Amino acid sequence: MQVNKLAILPVLILALIIVTFSSAFVVDEGRQAIITEFGKPIGAPITEAGLHFKLPFLQEARYVDKRILSWDGFPNQIPTKDKKYIKVDTTARFKIINALKFIQTVRNTSGAKARLDAILDSATRDVISNQNLVEAVRNSNAIIDKIAERERELKDRKAKGEPVLEEEVTGSIDEIQVGRENLSTMIAEVADKELRNLGIQLIDVQLRRISYEESVERKVYERMISERQRIAQKIRSIGQGEKAKIEGRLTRDLQKIDSEAYKDAEKIKGKGEAIAVGIYAKSFAKDPSFFEFLRTMDAYKNSMTAKTKMLFSTESEFLRYFKTVK
Amino acid sequence: MSNPEFNVPNINPKTVLIVIAIMITVIFGRTVFYTVEPDEEAVIIRLGRYMQTTAPGFHFKIPFGVDKVIKVKSKRVLQEEFGFRTTNTSTRRTTYSSGEHDGESLMLTGDLNVADVEWVVQYQISDPFKFLFQTEAPRRNIRDVSESIMRRVVGDRYVTEVLTTGRVEIATEAQKLMQDVLNKYDMGVKIVTVKLQDVNPPEVVKPSFNEVNEAKQEQEKVINQAEEAYNKVIPEARGKAEKLISEAEGLAEALVNRAKGDTAKFNEVLKEYKRAPTITKKRIYIETMETIFKNFDDLTIVDSKIKGILPVFSEKGVTDASK
Repeated sequence: MQVNKLAILPVLILALIIVTFSSAFVVDEGRQAIITEFGKPIGAPITEAGLHFKLPFLQEARYVDKRILSWDGFPNQIPTKDKKYIKVDTTARFKIINALKFIQTVRNTSGAKARLDAILDSATRDVISNQNLVEAVRNSNAIIDKIAERERELKDRKAKGEPVLEEEVTGSIDEIQVGRENLSTMIAEVADKELRNLGIQLIDVQLRRISYEESVERKVYERMISERQRIAQKIRSIGQGEKAKIEGRLTRDLQKIDSEAYKDAEKIKGKGEAIAVGIYAKSFAKDPSFFEFLRTMDAYKNSMTAKTKMLFSTESEFLRYFKTVK
Repeated sequence: MSNPEFNVPNINPKTVLIVIAIMITVIFGRTVFYTVEPDEEAVIIRLGRYMQTTAPGFHFKIPFGVDKVIKVKSKRVLQEEFGFRTTNTSTRRTTYSSGEHDGESLMLTGDLNVADVEWVVQYQISDPFKFLFQTEAPRRNIRDVSESIMRRVVGDRYVTEVLTTGRVEIATEAQKLMQDVLNKYDMGVKIVTVKLQDVNPPEVVKPSFNEVNEAKQEQEKVINQAEEAYNKVIPEARGKAEKLISEAEGLAEALVNRAKGDTAKFNEVLKEYKRAPTITKKRIYIETMETIFKNFDDLTIVDSKIKGILPVFSEKGVTDASK
């Protein structure tokens, strides 16, 4: 018997080890586990990380993720309510909140992602196609206030006489009713309702990218180009206008300066002449006939030059002694 | 002890023991100790369960797979790039590639134009445990949220604002909104900064944007040239005007002075004349005639009594005849 006992001990130890290993299991952080007995789930899911035990051999632990998982959608072409074709690329984050339901309905994460594809794609399509494009682009109407403010500022500057360019606002600015964030919330709400049946909670939906469909994009670019060209043209013509203004000012100022100078100069000269005339008149009035005589004499002296051809009669006063001394 | 076939050197058994002990310690030590580098923290997981986060330094752990150590570079500032990728930082000048990442950077502005916005997000892991276990793909979350938020922020602005004045504001707002969303996930990430890099109009539209800038330059040039022409002409005209006036003033002064001089002379002569009018008058007349006649080159004197043929003498003839 002694021999028998000695032989049994290692067998017992081995059995104990096997039992321990098949009954103990570790739930890692970020995971949760469900115990199944021949495939049938037993009890609530184990969400606490650490060492746990189950019945050996009969029961099996199945793990599902506890973390926030990511879903990346394939870019969808969706026509908006105002008939603009856009590509919408969404991402979403979700969490398994009911591990049991999750295992029953979709088995694992890749199964879940396939369902998410279908549910989120259709939710996105439904929500986006019921709205105008701007609702998916803008989140608020702040831009309208901003543009109004900008326009006021431009007007002020214009009033002050500074040259300004109204190049800022170009594309169309319509008021929005819903806004981007609300759209993603709407998509999330619609999808979340369906996903709850799969034991999934949708945390959020993010509209990662919204872009024009290629043919629309080309047209938008063309519009942008023509707008820029229009603005450039306007800037140039404003420049030419300013130039013309300056040139006009130049001619005006030049004429003004020249004519004013002429006017003032003539006035000054006239005044001087008047004074001179007054002085002469006052003085010469003392003996007009003597003045006449003197002035005439001066005039003779000044007007007759050596080259003047002269013909004198002996009758002249100066020459009368030529013929006789009377 | 000595064996002729195997020439084993005579080793002290004590030394052998010490060497074995050291070897055991080293091998065993590597499973019991771990070091955390200065830029990291380590998350300790014991049998699947989170125990603690340890700071840089030398630490113990339970070996044989009981304690798992996950090191996280939590002190480091990590960077995500959008619209471009840094391809090489080892050369003197960092190189980038951006062409193939247009999908990330092209976005609609509030006025339904398109802008090409490139940016970086710098973040730090503020809670290593949450970073590791709260979400499945933390980096992807950061990227997805950042793209979404940047589009939202740009979507609320008009294209010119995005391209010019709005840069700082956009970055600040995007950072705040991103942090809000990431906080909602509770994933242990702190955004350090969001920075806009190149912000451009889309490639095909660029030339026309440049055209606007060129037009601005041209406008300024044209205006400056006109101003220049103005400045060239007007000051000169002003100077000339002043000259004209000064000359007029001089002339007026001269007229007056001359008048004063003339009249003063007249007054003096008149005084003398009044003393002996007839004689003075005659004298002045004769003196004047004298001056005049002296100068004539071609003088003809005609006798009033002779009719018919005009006897013509030159002055010289007359003087000759009188001789």
